[in-house]
Amino acid sequence: MVLASIALRNLVQARRRTLLLSTAIGLVTTLLVLLLSISAGISDNLVQSATTLSSGHVVVAGFYKPSPTLGAPLVTDASKVRAIVEAKTPGLERVVARGRGWGKIVGPGGSVQASLSGVTLSDEPGFADTLQLAPRSAYLEGGGPEVVGDARRIGEPDALILFASHARRLEVDVGDLVTIVTEQTDGRSNTLDVTVVAIARDMGMLSSWSAIIDEPSLKKLYSLKGDTTGALWVYLDDIAESERTMTSLRTTLAQEGYALMDYQPVPFWMKFEVVGGEDWTGQKLDLTTWADEVSFLMYTVVAFDIVTVFISSILLIIIAIGISNTMFNTVRERTREIGTMRAIGLRRRQVLWLFMLEAIFLGLFATTCGAGLGAVLALALDAAAIPVPIEAMQAFLLSDTIPFSVRPLALSGSVAFLTTCTALAALWPSYRAALLRPIVALGYTA
Amino acid sequence: MLALFIATLAWAAPSSDELVGMLKVVDDRQQNNGDWRSLVYIEQKEKDKSDLAYQAAIYRRDADDKLVILFLKPQAEAGKGYLRADSNLFMFDPTVGKWERRTERERIGGTGSQRQDFDQSRLADEYAPTFVAEEKLGQYTVNRIKLAVKAGIDVAYPVVELWLDKATGNVLKRQDFAESGRLMRTTYYPAWNKLYSESKKAEVYFPKEVWIYDEVEKGNQTKVVIQEVDLKPLDPNIFTKAWLESKSR
Repeated sequence: MVLASIALRNLVQARRRTLLLSTAIGLVTTLLVLLLSISAGISDNLVQSATTLSSGHVVVAGFYKPSPTLGAPLVTDASKVRAIVEAKTPGLERVVARGRGWGKIVGPGGSVQASLSGVTLSDEPGFADTLQLAPRSAYLEGGGPEVVGDARRIGEPDALILFASHARRLEVDVGDLVTIVTEQTDGRSNTLDVTVVAIARDMGMLSSWSAIIDEPSLKKLYSLKGDTTGALWVYLDDIAESERTMTSLRTTLAQEGYALMDYQPVPFWMKFEVVGGEDWTGQKLDLTTWADEVSFLMYTVVAFDIVTVFISSILLIIIAIGISNTMFNTVRERTREIGTMRAIGLRRRQVLWLFMLEAIFLGLFATTCGAGLGAVLALALDAAAIPVPIEAMQAFLLSDTIPFSVRPLALSGSVAFLTTCTALAALWPSYRAALLRPIVALGYTA
Repeated sequence: MLALFIATLAWAAPSSDELVGMLKVVDDRQQNNGDWRSLVYIEQKEKDKSDLAYQAAIYRRDADDKLVILFLKPQAEAGKGYLRADSNLFMFDPTVGKWERRTERERIGGTGSQRQDFDQSRLADEYAPTFVAEEKLGQYTVNRIKLAVKAGIDVAYPVVELWLDKATGNVLKRQDFAESGRLMRTTYYPAWNKLYSESKKAEVYFPKEVWIYDEVEKGNQTKVVIQEVDLKPLDPNIFTKAWLESKSR
């Protein structure tokens, strides 16, 4: 307690030095918190876009092969499978059926290839609320901030929701007609003219090849009849239970007599080649989690984390050298004081602790302020919705604005990590101070 | 009365057998019982994009239904190839060294051309014809025939219309329609060439040029020029994945 009090008093006494070091440590903390917030923002966007455009928390899908060489990502007799999933999934929030397709969308300005997600609005009444519609300025030259269109109209026949980047390339607005060209399971071409009922804000890489169509139209495009769908998306109360639920559903469906594909943690479109090369026919189910369906996007989060670690490490090394150097100076300046303290009975361990406590208090104060500033800045920047003008960057960030998400664990982790680093940087100078012999220290002249 | 009867006979639509016969003539003329090698130049024009030009070698063995397309130029595409075997179409991409299964609608090398534009003609086997009309196509008098795909046959376009030169029996124009009935592409065959085949003991016909117009994305067009046709027997190794892979090493 006495040591803590002396350490605090020393910090206050050397105000200028304390302030300079605190500012440096605080700024590094702020930067680290901001970078971690962006990383968390990308992660949040990944989950959001994945579970809106690509999958539920768990996906019950599969392939249907009418012949060994032909295969399509379909679930036949979907109601039966759905009933089993609904009855046997613990912590189930809801199950929705989504059609899956791939086609070329042709508009006046050109064409884009897109994955077609078939939505049945009666099955997903809240779907429209999960999409944020784009202002006309996002896709139309000379467009204003007004938002036109209505995502709820996806329930109408031959309706399509485009994302802003596609609408821009196709040069279309809400109400325009576009043509979808697809290839059916047997290789035949088919087309459908659909009306653009809404244009949604881009959601990064996933939305750059996605479009949403009403499910009956998708079935019409693929000449699908009866109780067939692309996949059943299973939403859980807790997304963290995805993997466990998938494993449990695999067992359940196998017990119910369904043939299952071997588990492969990759999106369904990466399985066409494997399925096409196998000689079975009929239906096989395939179960994955949301993370499997967007596994190819995980690199964005990993890449950003690597950048964060790299930048933070460089700054941290610079700061650590600064702290070490400053502490060495402090020890030199206070050599006689150390000698006096040692002479009146302070042990070497206590001298070590005294200097370490100074560094820890300094680190704790600076990192707490820095983390607080970082959090406030991140929240403000997120609210400001800073637009990302470059499409490649939007794809990387999975958003058309820079995403920031402040997580308490990241804040406390940053404070703890950087305070520890500060303390470690002070360890050697503190140890050197503790080694000083009182007689030498008392006789020291600068 | 007699004159009217004769006129009616003269203008009577060809029977179903006659139409199938016309298709068989088209198929047989293009078929070579032996092998086929040719050099093709593919020119691709797309709206708001730079024109692209490719050179490729075509190898065909009609007896086994085998086809190889090997891209030679430009350098960036050299070594890319397609292999059709046992009604499967595979593509080899030398940049990744992998084979991928492709479908009938595959745009060869990303152009508007498809496998059917380079392969032997199988119209009589794949489609059932109906007569539309006798009409004029430019200076030519043609028989316009509508073809519907037969059950159980996998083709890119289930409905096709052909304009056959009444004088020569050659295809002058072809239109491909999607399942929905939408016109997908129009192809013109402005001139035909022929070459004597030792293996067939007859002449083999082939178009000098093929002009393909994308009817969905207006403005996109592909021109295929067929040259240096050689009907001598080919090495059987050519029709293997290993041979195609070796060409990019």
